[in-house]
Amino acid sequence: MDERNLTYMFYGLSAAWLILAGYVLSLAAREKRLKRQLDNLKRMIEERERK
Amino acid sequence: MKENNFRRNTLYGLAVLAALLLARNLHVILRGLPDEEEQGAIYRIIFFHLPAFFTAAVCYLLALVSSALYLVKRKARYDALAAAATEVGLAFAAVNLITGMIWARIIWGIWWTWDARLTWALVCWLVYAGYLMLRRAIEDPSERARNSAVLSIFAFVSVALTWKAIEWWRTQHPGPVLRIRGAEGAMDPAMESMIYWNWLALLLVGAVLLAVRMRQEQMAREIDALRRHAHAL
Amino acid sequence: MRFLRQCLTIAVKDLRSELRSKEAINASLSFALVILLLFSFAFDPTAEHTREISGGLLWLVFAFAGALILNRSFSRELTNDCLEALIAAPISGSALFLGKALANMLLLLAVEMICLPVFGVFYNARWTGQFPTLLSVTVLATWGLTVIGTMFSALTVNLRLRELMLPALVYPMMIPALMAAMQLTTLLIAGEPIAGEQLVWLRLLIGFDIIFTALALALAETVLVG
Repeated sequence: MDERNLTYMFYGLSAAWLILAGYVLSLAAREKRLKRQLDNLKRMIEERERK
Repeated sequence: MKENNFRRNTLYGLAVLAALLLARNLHVILRGLPDEEEQGAIYRIIFFHLPAFFTAAVCYLLALVSSALYLVKRKARYDALAAAATEVGLAFAAVNLITGMIWARIIWGIWWTWDARLTWALVCWLVYAGYLMLRRAIEDPSERARNSAVLSIFAFVSVALTWKAIEWWRTQHPGPVLRIRGAEGAMDPAMESMIYWNWLALLLVGAVLLAVRMRQEQMAREIDALRRHAHAL
Repeated sequence: MRFLRQCLTIAVKDLRSELRSKEAINASLSFALVILLLFSFAFDPTAEHTREISGGLLWLVFAFAGALILNRSFSRELTNDCLEALIAAPISGSALFLGKALANMLLLLAVEMICLPVFGVFYNARWTGQFPTLLSVTVLATWGLTVIGTMFSALTVNLRLRELMLPALVYPMMIPALMAAMQLTTLLIAGEPIAGEQLVWLRLLIGFDIIFTALALALAETVLVG
């Protein structure tokens, strides 16, 4: 394979993957947050209904 | 419960398929394909640059259809799909922009120029980023769904018009290379087929991300409803 | 006919209300003049530079000044629940929208007509060469900006950060109209008629106006009423 500009190609490909990975991470963080809120609310409702 | 499992398994299956396809594509990209005379190795970036753009375009189209469906049918599912599609589209559009800029820095010597396609890509990104900004600013769920649906329709029309407008303005960007666009300087068929293969791979990735994000949107609605229920008790 | 009469009633009401307080038009005009003067001071462009940038500069100024007018358009109705009263009134959402858009266009046109002579004075530019065509182009482009701006003013009326969100949302969408206006204005101020290749920009502007007016009229009811 032609080796000119090889490092730059890797920069380019890494940039593409970093952006997608960044988005996946933000999705995962949001999922965790939502799940936590959901569980808290369900617990709170159960407690209030029991009372 | 069974539906949940089915859904989870399908998503995992798709993700694995996407990963395998990407691995195979990467192998072909780095080893199998011939070299391009002038650019050296960096031309291989096009196998992510172009498919990312196509995937983003598919996402925006999906957002448009979904928004229109929401306005007609008023089902929350369409709003969730529109929001998810726009966000995933923005991610792929960002990939398109950044890979394009890196390529441009190496080949043209400049990070940016107000050339037709680049300008359009940036404007397009800004317009849909505005959509996300609007969604974040409206609290009432049905007002948010309604207004962002209207915005999504305006956004698509605006982006289509801007495309035409900019085409008349300036062109430094490489012209069409895909055979279906009637290109004269068409690529080597092996390269062209790789573009489509990688597009498929990115679409699979996009589909998984879309499904996850859409479910999160529905979870957020559930939380809203529960919160109101909790306060009523 | 009734539709048009309703639009005119709303437009006249808005204009009358604005002319009494002159809030938006003062802010808009001062902002526009300040930018024009500051730019001339900062860059002191030669006659040739001015000829090259006249369209771009003028339309940037008009777009920024327009945002101030457009913002007030629906937010003015928030006090005393006037917006709800208007929505409850027996007029369609599109009539309400069109009336407000007309009023906004006239206000912005007024600001623009004052800016042009000021531009001529401070930049030593002759701008009256093709005045009728320049006026038509200005009206067309202003209508394009106004249609989008008024629609987005309605979309963002209930938001806290309305003043920030409106420009951020609206400017990317106005780009085709702004581009066409800038190209044509530069041409017309230099005294050239629009001909040949440049007709494309005129067609773009007209197409922009038609498409977005139709879209806005179709969706106005949805945005305002639900």
